[in-house]
Amino acid sequence: MSDTPSPVTDADFARFCEFLYRRTGILFTPAKRYFVDRRLSERMQATGSRSFAVYLARLRSDASGEVERLINAFTINETYFYREDHQLRCLTASLLPETVSRKAAGSTVRIWSMPCSTGEEPYSVAMWLLENWPEVDRYDIEIVGSDIDTRALTAAEEGLYGERALMRLRPDLVARYFVREETRLGPGWRILDDLRGSVRFTPCNLTDAADMAAHGRFDVVFCRNVLIYFDDASRRIAADHIYDALVPGGFVCLGHTESMSRISPLFRVCRYDDAIVYRRPREGEHV
Amino acid sequence: MSEAGIGGPPHVLLVEDASLVRLYYRGALERAGFVVDEALNGIEGLERVLTATYDLLVVDVNMPKMDGLSFLRALRGREPGVRAIPALMTSTEAGDGDRAAARVAGANFYLVKPVPEGALVAHARALAGRRA
Amino acid sequence: MPLVRRDPPGLPKAETATPAVRSAEELGTALGSERDLRGREALLAALLALADASAATALARHLRSEDAGLRNACIETLQAMPAAALPVLPGLLVDPDSDVRLLATEVARAQPTEVASALLARLLEGETHPNVCGAAVEVLAEAGTAAALPALRAARTRFASEPFLPMAIDMVLARIGAGR
Repeated sequence: MSDTPSPVTDADFARFCEFLYRRTGILFTPAKRYFVDRRLSERMQATGSRSFAVYLARLRSDASGEVERLINAFTINETYFYREDHQLRCLTASLLPETVSRKAAGSTVRIWSMPCSTGEEPYSVAMWLLENWPEVDRYDIEIVGSDIDTRALTAAEEGLYGERALMRLRPDLVARYFVREETRLGPGWRILDDLRGSVRFTPCNLTDAADMAAHGRFDVVFCRNVLIYFDDASRRIAADHIYDALVPGGFVCLGHTESMSRISPLFRVCRYDDAIVYRRPREGEHV
Repeated sequence: MSEAGIGGPPHVLLVEDASLVRLYYRGALERAGFVVDEALNGIEGLERVLTATYDLLVVDVNMPKMDGLSFLRALRGREPGVRAIPALMTSTEAGDGDRAAARVAGANFYLVKPVPEGALVAHARALAGRRA
Repeated sequence: MPLVRRDPPGLPKAETATPAVRSAEELGTALGSERDLRGREALLAALLALADASAATALARHLRSEDAGLRNACIETLQAMPAAALPVLPGLLVDPDSDVRLLATEVARAQPTEVASALLARLLEGETHPNVCGAAVEVLAEAGTAAALPALRAARTRFASEPFLPMAIDMVLARIGAGR
């Protein structure tokens, strides 16, 4: 008997997408068929599942953390500067103008990168604002990066990155915000002190109410590619905490394969040119 | 409402969490000439109507995260281009109170499940405002 | 550089008061009258933290609610506590109210495959309401095992003249058959 699993049929694909969506909130359209099939076949082979039905039963029971392995196969779990820059465009084109339309000049705009891993996201936000938001001087902009992983936070504060992390940055941006530095592992780039000083890093657990509340309220929260790993219960709790961490009218940005539709009913869906973003309803406003 | 307005086939969005029901509706509506999209609950339904144009929504009542009635209430309070899309509600609940609640929420018509193919297509055509 | 860095703000008062330690029954009763969505979520989270038989019973009561949002939020919360939900499931699946039986099939979705399949097959064997059968078949499309095949075939015969069900059952029979 061959060890090669039977191929993924149209019905299997539909059934798999449905399961993945119900379980994780990751949504794939038929346009992603090739991408999904390949990874699915790999996971079936790796787990010795001879048919899709056998593999689905394994996923349903989540034997030996298979759901997490599968998510890892589907998400490029890599952080780099200016990742998902359509959301950064959306931030300066739509979210911040809307935010400051209700604020006096000189007031504070608070942005939270949660989780921030090794810091690429909050530093990207800082750079993006300096480069692309003409109003940047009119407000006090406070950027906080938080993560549950304190080793990642240490690296974030260190601000030293390898070549791959900078692959999406134009050379003039690299020149403006980084200094080259030789490291044990080869050439690296260190974030300029000025930029590093503009981001505050804190430890925080998304599912811990006190941790979250201690950070106060934000105008925009980036919470990308983490809720897909949570089970239903944790996802619900994390979403409640994010809601509480937003000012009324404040925005939350999720990763591009994520949708709030499997996470929480508390937010209002907002469509902008560059992205779908979710907003905590303003006082008296309907979702 | 959509490019269909200038002569193309009408576009319908199914907002329904039951996969086999979606398959059944999709088959019936595609055979009748509709172009069919799917959303698995009310929140996804809102995401869809904000990113594409539809001539008709077919909406279930019981769905996770955002049920069909909450979806219609939210929809009817949205921007003008979106809030006027006709909605056919299909539900397992057959009581007068259920029908009334659907009407108040913004449903244009209410069909009790299981819905025969002919009834689905006839009401979908009538609501979408043209023969498919 | 115009971007500022501030010291952490002092610990602010949580905006939605976390429900004080209350019994599952009290939480369940409060759920019935809570109109605010965030308040509802907080009560559901408190019940989810308990995740015991009393929490499951308190949630199951609202499957009879007139409020579709509440019904479905309770189903999801029961799905998130499968071990606690299991003891209340058999009763819900034989409830005299067909709407309750129908919603209970969705609660069964979160059970382990063998358990869900067996519970729903048993329901299918005696169920006369086509919509309850439709809901059970829907969950069996994901969780059905070969053990559910006889009940599915019998239902296929019983409901041969209904709309939707024959097609749905054929689909599931094919899926389960293919997996053997």
